[in-house]
Amino acid sequence: MQAASEGMSPNSDLPQMIHLDLDIKEFCSDWTHCDLMSGYLARMVCHNRLDSLLFSNLYSSALNELLEAVYRTHGVSGKLECVVQRRGNLDRIILTFPADDETYRVYEEAIGKVNADNAEALYLEALFADQEPGASLGLLELGVDYDAKLAIGRCEDGRMRLTADLALEDETE
Amino acid sequence: MIAEKMTQAFQWTYNENDQEFSLHGSLRPQRADELSNCISALEQSVSNVSGMFYVNVRRLVRMNNVAFHALGCKILDLVRTRTDLKVHVTTSSVVGWATRKFAVLETMSDKITVSEYDNEFYPGQSFVEDSAFIHVLRTQTKLTWRHEKDLLAKHGLKPGMQVADICCGIGDFAVLLQKEFAPDRLVALDHSRASLDYARRVASDFGVRGIDYVFGDAADMLLEDNQFDFVTCRHSLQVFDRPERILKELFRICKPGGRVYVTNEKNSHCLGEPRGESIQWTYTEVAKLWHHFDMDIEIGPKSRRLLIEGGFEDVSIGSFMVTNTDGNPQDFADVIESWKKLFADTMATQRGDDEAFKEKFAKGFDDHIFAALHPKGYAGWPIWVASGRKPL
Repeated sequence: MQAASEGMSPNSDLPQMIHLDLDIKEFCSDWTHCDLMSGYLARMVCHNRLDSLLFSNLYSSALNELLEAVYRTHGVSGKLECVVQRRGNLDRIILTFPADDETYRVYEEAIGKVNADNAEALYLEALFADQEPGASLGLLELGVDYDAKLAIGRCEDGRMRLTADLALEDETE
Repeated sequence: MIAEKMTQAFQWTYNENDQEFSLHGSLRPQRADELSNCISALEQSVSNVSGMFYVNVRRLVRMNNVAFHALGCKILDLVRTRTDLKVHVTTSSVVGWATRKFAVLETMSDKITVSEYDNEFYPGQSFVEDSAFIHVLRTQTKLTWRHEKDLLAKHGLKPGMQVADICCGIGDFAVLLQKEFAPDRLVALDHSRASLDYARRVASDFGVRGIDYVFGDAADMLLEDNQFDFVTCRHSLQVFDRPERILKELFRICKPGGRVYVTNEKNSHCLGEPRGESIQWTYTEVAKLWHHFDMDIEIGPKSRRLLIEGGFEDVSIGSFMVTNTDGNPQDFADVIESWKKLFADTMATQRGDDEAFKEKFAKGFDDHIFAALHPKGYAGWPIWVASGRKPL
């Protein structure tokens, strides 16, 4: 795992704060990596927010759901990159990871639900479904509950990119 | 920033008397079956309950959807299969995600209610959150600061330290700390969003940067262990019905070798001349009034015992008297006027005191103001300052 220097991400015009990368197999060797990474990054980026504790807790929750989705649904081999960026009140998380067509379709379907008119109903349905939560529940929660803007795309190297834009602090609070 | 021990451990407890099942720590399992012991304990707990069953998630710092799915479905299942059962979920406003996450349960069944725990810990908080009281809080800090500025240094505060001001209120003390002692880091925590909003506004208006104002419960903070050189908690143990719990938290966040500094009052020792007798009677009644609301405004001299019993060493205690001779006597009189309104009106009315009592009660404050503004008068408000070192 290495941290890149500050600068602009090639994939976004927001100033970059942290860049982590590791092999997807290494990441998926232990479930607690999701919790550890989300907790670590939340600690790093919570300073200078309106309420650092509250922000850290929300950020960690949101990022953990994204990482858990990737942990469960990803391609066979390649690198997982996690880039966090910020401008003002907007926090952007970009996860880039290996994904074959089938994996990509899972995310495509999930994002489709997030952007659907009945996203809230779909979220409740998934939340109380008989079977255990799949990759889409965390994304649905981010879209419905955190009002996150989610997007996916393909990278030139064949991996996929999952982007979440979050505004976790209400300036009027 | 979140205390690691709170995020690594996961526990549950059941309080049979309150029919309350509480979850603590971090719940981010990979599979639902990792929670089977917890779910079994929940089933066992609820098996002997009829009526309202309480699920307390106030101290559940993290929770993923796997855990929510398992717990939420179990709660739904319980209210659907048990006609005699209702469930109430208590969340915390300190843990940002919890209320909105659990609120969806209410939409699934009218036998489930969800509420955000708030001021229960602070019996006196609602009294002092009144925006009209802010002016007097600022004046109080102005009056006490002239004494505390020197005392803080004597109790070990130095520039460049990591400092926390717990129960910071409207944050004016934190601003003074920042200006005078230039701490390397200053976290100011309070359980009143209104006070924190005010604090942030004032810091911004005054161009004071570097104070991290955070929302939190002083009795159960999310701050990490052992991270502050100097922890202050002023006039707050006295508005709390379980001061030992706050002290335990102050001890926890203080670095070994660091110091915790507390100030408290003994209101019955407020004095003044002329009209000393009336003044003394009224302030003795103030102590009784606070006691009625489970607060101890007499805690000042007890601070030494509290610190020693809390595990601190090298405990130091002293007192100072804020008086009408500290600068403008009108400032002192303004403080007493606001006390009169708060104690002899708002709080006495809430206690159910009759008009005759309230009139006599108010007279002692008027007499204190009279003494403060009298050209030959003297009026005082004593404050006890204590600090202790956390052992290495």
